[in-house]
Amino acid sequence: MNLKQPLLALVLGLVLLSGFASSQTCTEASPCDITVWQIFADHRGDWIMDTATRFNDLYPQYNVVIENPGDYFAILDQYTLAQEQGNPPAIAQIFDAGLQFAADSGYFKYADDIIDGREEVLGQEVNFSDIVSPASSYYTIDGRWASVAWNTSTSISYANMDILKDVGINAIPTTWQELLSACEALQPKVDAGELEGCASWPFDNWFTEQWLAQMNQYLVNNENGRAERATELLLTTDEFLSIANFYRELFEKGYYVYTGTRRDWAGAGNLFNSGRVAFSLSSSADARNKVEAAKAGDFELATGKLIRNADYDYNGNIIGGATMWITAGLEPEVEEGAMAFLLFMNNTENSASFHTASGYIPIRNSSVELLQNLKSGNNVFWDVDNKSRTDIEGSNWYEINPNFLTASVQLAESNVNNASAGAKFGTFRETRDLIEAGMEDVMLNGKDPVQVFTAVKTESDKLLEDYNFLYTDN
Amino acid sequence: MFIISPWLLTAFVVFAASAFLGFAFRWQGQVRYWALAAGGLSGLLGTQLAMWPLAYCTFELERMWLDRFLGCLIVLVCTAFFLWISHWVISRLSVGEGLLPKAETYAGVFRSPLAPLLTALCLLPTLIILSIFHYYPLFQTFRLGTRLVRLGAPKTKFVCLDNYTSLFLDPNYWYSLGLTFVIALGVVTVAMSLGLLIAQMVNLPLRGANIYRALLIWPVAISPVVAGVLFQLLLNPVTGVVNHLLENSLGVRIPWLGHAGFATLSIVLTAAWNQMGFNILFFIAGLKNISPELLEAASIDGANAFQGFFRITLPLLSPFTFFLIVTNTIYAFFQTFGVIDILTRGGPVNATVSAMYRVYVVGVLGKDLGKAGAQSLVLLLIVVGITILQFRGSQERVSYGV
Repeated sequence: MNLKQPLLALVLGLVLLSGFASSQTCTEASPCDITVWQIFADHRGDWIMDTATRFNDLYPQYNVVIENPGDYFAILDQYTLAQEQGNPPAIAQIFDAGLQFAADSGYFKYADDIIDGREEVLGQEVNFSDIVSPASSYYTIDGRWASVAWNTSTSISYANMDILKDVGINAIPTTWQELLSACEALQPKVDAGELEGCASWPFDNWFTEQWLAQMNQYLVNNENGRAERATELLLTTDEFLSIANFYRELFEKGYYVYTGTRRDWAGAGNLFNSGRVAFSLSSSADARNKVEAAKAGDFELATGKLIRNADYDYNGNIIGGATMWITAGLEPEVEEGAMAFLLFMNNTENSASFHTASGYIPIRNSSVELLQNLKSGNNVFWDVDNKSRTDIEGSNWYEINPNFLTASVQLAESNVNNASAGAKFGTFRETRDLIEAGMEDVMLNGKDPVQVFTAVKTESDKLLEDYNFLYTDN
Repeated sequence: MFIISPWLLTAFVVFAASAFLGFAFRWQGQVRYWALAAGGLSGLLGTQLAMWPLAYCTFELERMWLDRFLGCLIVLVCTAFFLWISHWVISRLSVGEGLLPKAETYAGVFRSPLAPLLTALCLLPTLIILSIFHYYPLFQTFRLGTRLVRLGAPKTKFVCLDNYTSLFLDPNYWYSLGLTFVIALGVVTVAMSLGLLIAQMVNLPLRGANIYRALLIWPVAISPVVAGVLFQLLLNPVTGVVNHLLENSLGVRIPWLGHAGFATLSIVLTAAWNQMGFNILFFIAGLKNISPELLEAASIDGANAFQGFFRITLPLLSPFTFFLIVTNTIYAFFQTFGVIDILTRGGPVNATVSAMYRVYVVGVLGKDLGKAGAQSLVLLLIVVGITILQFRGSQERVSYGV
């Protein structure tokens, strides 16, 4: 066989390829790809696809590609691997628990460093002072924006009022104690097989963190790692143990339906949306989902501030969600395009529109104003069925959809301190797993909370000690 | 500070190894000095190889007894390896044979003084590939196991054998090992016995037997992950088909994935189903190889179907059975990972975290490459051990010819 020609073609191809790679210019004819890793695969994913298309139309020299490698945990894990293999995406959506790690890793370039004091990037306005304060206090590191804020939520309570009113409860429970008595009243319905149980929510450590904030307790020392780098978990405080005991009581009495897997947001959501439990906790970002489910299932939906432990004074709630981080070492042009896309996605109109599509709080103060004074032609309402933006009747979004206001009210009423700012430490992602496993052990196996969480603390502290050693200079 | 100085340790091992080999080759009460020298050299090389990545850290004063024990064990294994080579070389030389195998001289054998070289040359590509993709990573894995390494972290730290000794002292790890053996035993038993039964059945002269065969072998083309997804849909405690049928017929609901015992059973069944096609395939091939005359002769002699199966078919299948036991064990140790990840994610409360799944949890999710490296090495040693045991145990019972 004559191998000369194929070999020649191969060499030629490689030469050509390397020629292209070295002189990257983004043009309409050969636009530069900007890959974005994000978690949404439902209608919120449709929204970001639509927004990417809008951006690509405005900037034909770029091609924003939206990819969905999995949930927050998967993105963090796979991004680390992609970096080690030298093939990371331009933009990654990193969740709250990844904050310290993302900052330590050196994988990302700080947003403030890219913006470098400019007021706009490729015509997209920066104006970070317009970002709502809970997000800016959570996500800024030493007063600087490391990433661009995007989807920000808080956890709230959801109730199926048709079921609750049936047993004479006319208001959504606001405390653990109220929930327990509501569940007691509902138990006959459960015994009769009308309900799967009283309540169900994702078995996710995020709620535990929220309750700690409500009780003004830190998850890690050094003021939640915000005064100084955290070195120790605080898992044996009375406040923390009260949460473990709450779960155990709920489960022992048969009030809490456990789907069997941790962080099973879909499973717990289905139980509530299909009317098989009366009460649920979820992210405010679930508001649109729940509103649609209530419409489809024809039941009255109520939202309320996240239930709290009435034995403690209310301090405040944490935000949840994620921010968008730009990979360090991108071609300058791609980096500019990535930043322009993030600013575009978070401008006043787009952030108002994303709020209607999800329930994530409008990230800009100007977006809140816009939602309160809607005019025809604003086109911010996300039409789930047609996957497009339309106008909506009426001028004040929150009057039309009061359930979308709950999260903002809850955050507005929160005290601003380091307990409600949320924990910040390098092994947050791994520790969430360990605490959840401990909580499962207490709830399902009836183990002693002190014993379980003393062990979890030892293991988590060791992890954090190792992490701090490997990522800091001393 | 060391509990025993490295020099002293080396000297002791050199002395012991030298004495050992000298004793082994003593001849008519006379000492052979080259045997002593070879033994001493083996001891020196063994100690150096063993302590090269460790720098004698296992014998530091503040270490615990387990570190010292493991340190001694590694020195012993490495020295034994070199002693074995020395012993072999001396044995060959002392009976006047060369180190290279003599070319056998029957017809059809390539006869040339260069034949051994040619053999080596032909084996070289495989050896290179094995070295790059197996032996070198194996050595690196051991080295990783001696360090505190976090995926992506800028620094690492030498921690001696801490990653290995912590495994010994961790009850969760012992649980995982035990569970792995339970799963392996379950998968091998179920997949092999059902596989043989089905193979025997579809080997009967039936109409459309080829279609049945193809359909039954199909699951082997499905990856463990997809098998996991299928069984997840079947076994889901709330929405699954299996519980729906059970509830309608018997009025019971089984927590297939929510109870430690049932979750393990679910994993065994899924993995066995996934692996069974492979077994059926090989068993059918084995059955086709057995000449019908043998069974016919047996039946003429008055053997019934069971006697025919257990006395004739089963012994003749033994090479296949042996091969399948080894591959199924390896499958159960390593490949069930995908099934576990999809079905239970190690739950409920870590009850189904097998040894391999733990490597994933620690190394990929926890990013602790040092500990994960140590664990995968332990796993490798176990599988090698099992395979050796199986080879030993089956040597008498496997017959490769009729």
